Amino acid sequence: MSLPRSDYDPRRVCLNPFPFLENINLGKHRRALGVYLAGGLFSLGIWAFLDATILSAHAHPPYNEPDYPVPVHVTFADWVPGICSLLGILVINLIDKDRVRGDEGFGDSRAVWRARLFLFVGFALMAGGLAGSAALLVLKYVLPGYPDQYQYYGFANVAENVFLMLSAVVLWIAQSGSGEYEYNLSI
Amino acid sequence: MAAGLKTVILLSFVLAVGFLMIILSCALWSNWLPLFVALTFVVAPLPNALFSHCGADDFSTDYGEGSGPIDLGRFITAFIVVTGFSLPLVLAHSEIIKPGASVMSLIGGGCVWLFGRIHASSDNERLLISACSLVYGTILAYTAAFRQDDSDFE
Repeated sequence: MSLPRSDYDPRRVCLNPFPFLENINLGKHRRALGVYLAGGLFSLGIWAFLDATILSAHAHPPYNEPDYPVPVHVTFADWVPGICSLLGILVINLIDKDRVRGDEGFGDSRAVWRARLFLFVGFALMAGGLAGSAALLVLKYVLPGYPDQYQYYGFANVAENVFLMLSAVVLWIAQSGSGEYEYNLSI
Repeated sequence: MAAGLKTVILLSFVLAVGFLMIILSCALWSNWLPLFVALTFVVAPLPNALFSHCGADDFSTDYGEGSGPIDLGRFITAFIVVTGFSLPLVLAHSEIIKPGASVMSLIGGGCVWLFGRIHASSDNERLLISACSLVYGTILAYTAAFRQDDSDFE
């Protein structure tokens, strides 16, 4: 309230980095659609990785040379980036979005930096998961030069983390977008 | 509901076809894993139904918006729906079930899900239906008819 409502409002960094997205006219279903989309993206990510895991569990040697062993399997190391991303999603969504905005006169204003710190921890976990999956793809699957059907495990892992991050972003935008609209109404 | 008796008959027909497809996809190849698809689509509307009463009390200005539990219900519902669609694909990819069984259980699951959604749906769910039923183009016409019927009450 005390700050001017403008395009360069510094608080917006923590809210929605893409203000033009709020102008998309979806009417009153905007929030519901965003949440549905986030859930769908989340499920896509989880299943992309589970697909690779089930494929690995059912992997068999090629039919023309049955003695050729399956060179690589999905192990626990492949699960770690996804778990990091999942923890990041949990941390991000447990934060009260009004705290992060830091409006004066709302609750404890000194708690704002703590909320932003946890927001940073959440995004760091998600970015760590994404970077970890990319590192896993390169170190475990690409550099040893496995055939394409085994490199798929690594790419599925990257896809999982990308989808989880997209899900968190969509959920965040969907839940924080309509707030200012109601706020204007209440004034 | 203004739609009347014809829609009830049509919906029960769709539901019957859906279950027929799912059970056929299991029985023809004597591999009963695709039956999980039916379970998934039956469970899908449950979170929405459970959480839908959590948000709106007498003091909230707008209906059903801005509530955490409702969002959680929608999130879980979307998760289960996409799970239902991806489960046959994943099973077929790893050659546990045949591709034919995968396609049949997909169509059947879609029919069952559409039945559940149309039967007890509010506005935004119907929006979701019309988005998803592009895949099942034959049923799109009927959801459009439903949406027209409901716009009379708004």
